[in-house]
Amino acid sequence: MAFFLYSILFCALFYLHFSVAHRAWRMIRGRESAELDMSYVRLEDYFGQSFRSKLANWMKTLQPAAGSTAGLRVFDKGNERIFVAGGAQYPAGRREREILVIEGDFTCGRDCEFEKELMVKGNCAIGEDTQLQALAVDGTLHVGQGSRVRRWVDAVKQLTIGQDAVVNSRATSRTSIELLPGAQALSLFAPEVFTEGRHENELQIEVAPPVIVQLPHPDRTTAAAHGYDPAKLYSMGANTYLYDGDLHLTAPLHLRAPFVVRGDFSCPKESLLEADVKAHGSAAIGAASVVKGNIVAGGDITLKPNTYFQGLLHAGGAMRLSRGVRGLRDKLPVAAYGAGVVTLESNVVVNGKVASAQRVVALSTPVAWLESTRIPAMRA
Amino acid sequence: MAVTLLTAVSYAVIAFAVAFLLLYALRHYVLGYSRLRIDRPRDSMELAGFYMPRVTVLIPMHNEERVAGDILQALVDSDYDWEKLEVIPINDRSTDRTREIVNDFAKRYPFIQPLHRAGGQAGKPAALVDACTHATGEILVLFDADYVPGRAVIKMLVAPFADPEVGASMGRVVPHNIGESLLSGLLSLERSAGYQGVQQSRFNLGFTAQFGGTVGAVRAAALESVGGWNPESLTEDTDLTFALLLNGWKTAYVNRAECYEEVPQSWAVRRRQLSRWVTGHTECLHNYWPDLMRSKFLTKWEKLDALFLLAMYWTAPTLVAGWAASLLLFFIPEAHQTPWLPAALAFLGYQLFANQATFLEIGVASMLDGTRVRSLLLPLNLLNFFANTGAICNALRKFYWNRFWGSGGDGWYKTHRTRGAPGNGFFNGSKDSSLTTRSATGLYHARAHGD
Repeated sequence: MAFFLYSILFCALFYLHFSVAHRAWRMIRGRESAELDMSYVRLEDYFGQSFRSKLANWMKTLQPAAGSTAGLRVFDKGNERIFVAGGAQYPAGRREREILVIEGDFTCGRDCEFEKELMVKGNCAIGEDTQLQALAVDGTLHVGQGSRVRRWVDAVKQLTIGQDAVVNSRATSRTSIELLPGAQALSLFAPEVFTEGRHENELQIEVAPPVIVQLPHPDRTTAAAHGYDPAKLYSMGANTYLYDGDLHLTAPLHLRAPFVVRGDFSCPKESLLEADVKAHGSAAIGAASVVKGNIVAGGDITLKPNTYFQGLLHAGGAMRLSRGVRGLRDKLPVAAYGAGVVTLESNVVVNGKVASAQRVVALSTPVAWLESTRIPAMRA
Repeated sequence: MAVTLLTAVSYAVIAFAVAFLLLYALRHYVLGYSRLRIDRPRDSMELAGFYMPRVTVLIPMHNEERVAGDILQALVDSDYDWEKLEVIPINDRSTDRTREIVNDFAKRYPFIQPLHRAGGQAGKPAALVDACTHATGEILVLFDADYVPGRAVIKMLVAPFADPEVGASMGRVVPHNIGESLLSGLLSLERSAGYQGVQQSRFNLGFTAQFGGTVGAVRAAALESVGGWNPESLTEDTDLTFALLLNGWKTAYVNRAECYEEVPQSWAVRRRQLSRWVTGHTECLHNYWPDLMRSKFLTKWEKLDALFLLAMYWTAPTLVAGWAASLLLFFIPEAHQTPWLPAALAFLGYQLFANQATFLEIGVASMLDGTRVRSLLLPLNLLNFFANTGAICNALRKFYWNRFWGSGGDGWYKTHRTRGAPGNGFFNGSKDSSLTTRSATGLYHARAHGD
């Protein structure tokens, strides 16, 4: 009897096991995979562009609802409503629950709250401590001090992210983005991203430093000097070199070939890096250096003051761009990405993208304050 | 006496099988668990589009009239800057309309520079060797002719080369013909586990990804420095992965660089494909493992991971040996007098760990991909598992037989294509490129179907 019951149980389980699989097979039989979006193209300002495009489509297809006036048109879109107005000024503390489209300029006082997306076709100034969902602006945009954007912001003209304001996702502009001290975003992309206290650097580069370490220097018999041990250098082929250990140079470096450091890497001020560098650990580039290649690090990346980079920075850890750092090159924008927090000190200018898996934050420093008060005309 | 010896040998075989498979099971668990644990996989997607070196795309083709138009049109539609792009379709002695199709594209798009091979050694590796002498790109991107890359795939594959240590990058292949046969459905699970699971997980843990020879890219200078493609290898991709690794170069994995492929729809085609992979891969094991163990560029964990990768096809004969030994013990009465525990543990060992671990990996990948319905096919993967085990054992038997007697093995074999049909799409008389993309494949409007 027990055997009989066991057999029934076994058969039932066996049937259930495979019947689910068989049913699944019948569901997908004859179908092709639909996983990939073949036309996917990565656009930094995708959110703003996509929202504008959807909005334009809604405006074309939806009919104005009852209650629309010449000054305020209302459209019903499923459970949502879209309010379309000319210019507008919202007083402090106002709460808006619907999608808002402003066809002129727009300002709002402090402590406002916008639960849905906001689109402004003119210029836009957001008051302090305002809560927003997402914001697309065709003119200039100022996000007030302490404001918080739950998703993205996109402006066609200059975008200023005020002191201690937070953008939880991407901030993009087709002109420039200024980050005031304490401002945060996940990713910033514009022809020019800069922090407060911007002015032209007063680089103090010695024309000919007394000692320069030239790498690669594949002569393994050379004596160790300036923190560099030739015995740790190996050729990977293709004019690329690997240094097996930490490398902390004490004399300015002139790097001429791609270089991989299996450890931490640092070079002193006024170094010239003409090729790519990879450090398995952290990488620190001395002040007033020129970086023509890319820098990739498994750990943190630090660019000391007034360093100029022309390539890409990719850190597995945090990244710090010290005051006076410049990132720009011909034709293509540059990019700096850190898996950890990316900190921008004052007077940093990056022509391209600055992004982090955690947050990009602008830092307020006394030096920044000094610089901005010393050259007020430059800020204006 | 003979029975006692047989019993002892059987126990020894089971002990070895359990130990060997347990190691692999552990590996699968670590990879599966770490894949689920890491919130943000390691990638260079944030740099995609910001690093744009000159690129040459190589597409080996032998009688590819069914698919040639699709891939060339997909590359024309790519968002990579045409000024920095060179496409070399390598027509390797085709006897169908491949030459005509390729030349027609070349007339219209100056960056398409076909190479027509009329002689020389046959096969993909030899074709690649020839094409590399014509390529002008810093980075060589490879696609098989039946693949259809999305618009942004080249930018994504190229982005990791901003890292000077990266010698090659590997994208992800996604089967599009999942519903054509039960086998293709099961293979889609296997691919999912292999890429979304194992490749990404190994890359996250700092190990080198495996270069797959298609939907991949290689730094031209690094390739040259390791002596180029090995035209004698049946798996020139695996060969290159380890040649690069021995010189300190890493292979990066880009999970988001996805590309449709066509997986075998019949068991016979699958068996031949697997046979080539097993032979080439095991050849690499014998060629590279001593140098890998001595390499000054690799840590001990990297060496262990490389060894696991190279020896992975040995799991199948080990498993079969374990089964045979268990069966033998069952029929030896004397063996029953020995304590039952070891045999039971052995059985449990590779049923619970070895088998379940790979199934777990597929489950993890399906979960991450969100392919809920398809993951329900998992119980039927037993069929694939048994078929694979048989095919691998047979291929290894042939490999070692040939190796022992010094005879040549099978030559390079092109996997049979089933997609498309001659005369469809672009070459159906229309010059409208939009029709090309909506040719026999249906790939460009496949989103109408759900999974």
